Amino acid sequence: MTRDEAKIIFLRYRPGTTDEEDPHVREALVLAKEDLELSSWLEKQTARQQALRKTFRRIKAPDGLMEQIISEQVASERRMNSHRRLAGIAVAAGILMVTVILGFLWHRSRPHASNTLDMFERQMASYALRGYTMDLQTNDAEAVREFFRKQQAPWDYAISSTLQKAALIGCSVENWQTTKVSMICFASGAKVAPVAQNDLWLFVVDPKSVEDPPRNTQPQVFRLNRLTAATWLENGKLYLLATTADESVFRGFF
Amino acid sequence: MAESLDFEKLVACHYQHLYQFAFSLTRDEAESCDLTQETFCIWATRGHQLRDISKVKTWLFTTLHREFLGSRRRQTRFPHTELDTAEADLPAITPEPVSRLDLEQVMTKLSLVDEVYQAPVALFYLQDYSYKEIAEILEIPIGTVKSRLARGLLRLNQLFTDAGTQPPTT
Repeated sequence: MTRDEAKIIFLRYRPGTTDEEDPHVREALVLAKEDLELSSWLEKQTARQQALRKTFRRIKAPDGLMEQIISEQVASERRMNSHRRLAGIAVAAGILMVTVILGFLWHRSRPHASNTLDMFERQMASYALRGYTMDLQTNDAEAVREFFRKQQAPWDYAISSTLQKAALIGCSVENWQTTKVSMICFASGAKVAPVAQNDLWLFVVDPKSVEDPPRNTQPQVFRLNRLTAATWLENGKLYLLATTADESVFRGFF
Repeated sequence: MAESLDFEKLVACHYQHLYQFAFSLTRDEAESCDLTQETFCIWATRGHQLRDISKVKTWLFTTLHREFLGSRRRQTRFPHTELDTAEADLPAITPEPVSRLDLEQVMTKLSLVDEVYQAPVALFYLQDYSYKEIAEILEIPIGTVKSRLARGLLRLNQLFTDAGTQPPTT
């Protein structure tokens, strides 16, 4: 290593630092120990380095910079949190909306169970209330039964002794899905409905025509639209008795 | 709260050094403040990705340097009008204290050194970083650091000699 080469290396030498671990610096330092001129040059160079070092380190950040950085960050975090909250709400709303839409679509695409007992009861109530044409007007219970038999509608039904006391008006065959329903019309004799001759109806159908036939063999009274009604299962037949009369009158038929 | 405290501690520990480095590179107070702030902002969002927490200072310097290079690229692509052009319309500003003259002189000389040598020279004087650490910060090989330092420091010395001035003395 020559003196000039050593000077180039000393340009990047900072005494008292890890620079001394650099093999080139170490070699140049060895040379400087033997070369008085180089040693003197190094001394001056080191002084210059120190001066420059101090000057560089005199750079001072403006007052308030630290506070500004911290406050900006706090404000930024608040904004971020606010944005995150809004984004969270938007995502939740989006998920809810998608769920509702999917639920709606699923509900629409799902085959509707239209042969439930509830649907049967509603449809029969609709027949009773909105009008029907009586196929046979008679007070002869056997004639009614015979009519049903010929129509291949349920005919071997049982009529309680109390119901037999109600005035028979006639009958009709109605349709429920693909099944025939025997509809027997009575007059309840209630004073509240003196005009309506027939205000008590008994529907008889094959219980297999509904997917959820009742299990009770005793009549269960309930409100059905504007009617008081009861359903029960007896001898393999599903019965629905409905009336526009009072419940007290209605219960008298059981 | 703890995160906020850590952030405050981090800023308190390093903002001064980062600002010094930024100022050495830009010679502009506002730009140096922006660079320093941006560096901490990046730390706040990506700092958790740093696996070795002992490298935080190096990470901050590297980030600041990257941001500086990025801003230089943007300025090259979208040059903006300097305030000097509107100087006449601006209110008079009291000159810096005389005590800062030496620093200004050194900064002016540093600005005349090729830009590629400025960052290693600034780190060389500002921090007692080893060549290896400077290489890590600037993301260049250690051999490149040594040669850039030698050339940059030689050029800085020449600039002082050519101007007939001596570098500031202690």
